[in-house]
Amino acid sequence: MKVKTLLHGIAISVLLYGCGDLFDFHPYDTRFNGEQNINANNIKRIEADCLNKDTLTIAFISDTHGSYGDTEDMVDDINNRNDADFVIHGGDLTDCGTTKEFIWQRKRLAKLRMPYVALIGNHDFLGTGNEVYSVMYGNTDFSFIAGRIKFICLNTNATEYDYLAAVPNFDFMETQILSDTELFDRTIVCMHARPYSEQFNNNVAKSFQHYILRFPGIMFCLNGHDHCLQEEDIYGDGLIYYGAPSASRRSYLLFKITPTEYHHEVIYF
Amino acid sequence: MFTVTAPCAASGRPATIHSENDSTYIADTSGQSPYDRRVETYRKLWNFLIPTQLITQYAGNMGQISLGIGWDYGNRRQYETNLLFGYLPKFNSSRAKMTMTLKQNFIPWRFDFDDKFNIEPLSCGIYFNTVFGHEFWGREPKRYPDKYYQFLSTKVRINAFVGQRITAITPKNKRKFVKNITAFYEISTCDIYIRAMFQDSKVSLGDILGLSLGIKVQMM
Repeated sequence: MKVKTLLHGIAISVLLYGCGDLFDFHPYDTRFNGEQNINANNIKRIEADCLNKDTLTIAFISDTHGSYGDTEDMVDDINNRNDADFVIHGGDLTDCGTTKEFIWQRKRLAKLRMPYVALIGNHDFLGTGNEVYSVMYGNTDFSFIAGRIKFICLNTNATEYDYLAAVPNFDFMETQILSDTELFDRTIVCMHARPYSEQFNNNVAKSFQHYILRFPGIMFCLNGHDHCLQEEDIYGDGLIYYGAPSASRRSYLLFKITPTEYHHEVIYF
Repeated sequence: MFTVTAPCAASGRPATIHSENDSTYIADTSGQSPYDRRVETYRKLWNFLIPTQLITQYAGNMGQISLGIGWDYGNRRQYETNLLFGYLPKFNSSRAKMTMTLKQNFIPWRFDFDDKFNIEPLSCGIYFNTVFGHEFWGREPKRYPDKYYQFLSTKVRINAFVGQRITAITPKNKRKFVKNITAFYEISTCDIYIRAMFQDSKVSLGDILGLSLGIKVQMM
């Protein structure tokens, strides 16, 4: 009798526990359900929503890794202000690149009322992280056009490849400079690690500048990675790199872009 | 209890090996030379390395399915050490992976029911799991600045678990190879998940715990 009672007890506790994600195969198992290709799906929405807009408002957030509470508050803050057309995440969704962390972050960012895209950060490469990113978000280099502005999102995490890969990918940049030129007049370049950081391939930092300056109507660059607020003309060529603080600093950047100029604001929440 | 005779390597004369319920040992040490006794000790030491258990386990951050061998020891056989090899399917990655686990169990209590069943209300322990593949490293590769990633490694994980077990004992007259079979479950988590939970209060215990199920076959 006692055995039966105990077995029933075990069976019931197992069933109760079954509400969640029951079995863990491995932190780097790349096993997940739910939304995939988030960037491509959201870019469709962004391009449709912003097609004829002449003024854009963009929230730039970054480095939300390990700060789930702060990320929730940030998402609430962006939702409550209700003026952002879309959100760009500057990378480092995860601390260790584990599949669970990607799922935990996706759950928080899915609460955004407007579409978002996320770049890959260096932490997102750890273990099988880059493989999860590729399926969950898409290509590590991508672009889209919103209201006649082209947004170029680049993977600049060269250290993660031991400098063996084409990172930054100049071929991709060249293609983007030359394609769809009738659809955009200005360009904004986004990246995780900016030139001269320890993740960037600094051997090609000057070549990178050369390619960046070839983009039609280049306005400014956005980066994450350094976890602090940055506003710097890195090359002394007049092009400003704006760095977003990490979510744990409880702040993000908001850009308002009109046909002739742009303003930026640091939002603390 | 049964008795077999086997030739003793040392002297050529037969030595008696008794196989009782739980252990194998060589009896009758009277009249042996120091050499014979040393050979016996040598045999006893190597006997200790004979695996006494076969284990299969599902999930538990060591692959989807793991197979391995185990040893039990201690006055009440309250300690177990397992060596498991796990298979991790490819899922969304480029290929499947193998893992290896070294697991230490502690089972403080055992309640027997009529020599047919026993229940162990608590099993607990830790295990080290390593995953094979070029994308994982044990120590930070040289391409990174010193202490770039503030955690141990992507290759080796330290896991902790608690669980419960129930054992069916094969009647002595029906035993062939299997002395008893144990079904168990464990609830476990690993170092980086615990770290994530301590870093952020929004990561709950339920987020980081996982269930695993297993069967242990006791051979001797």
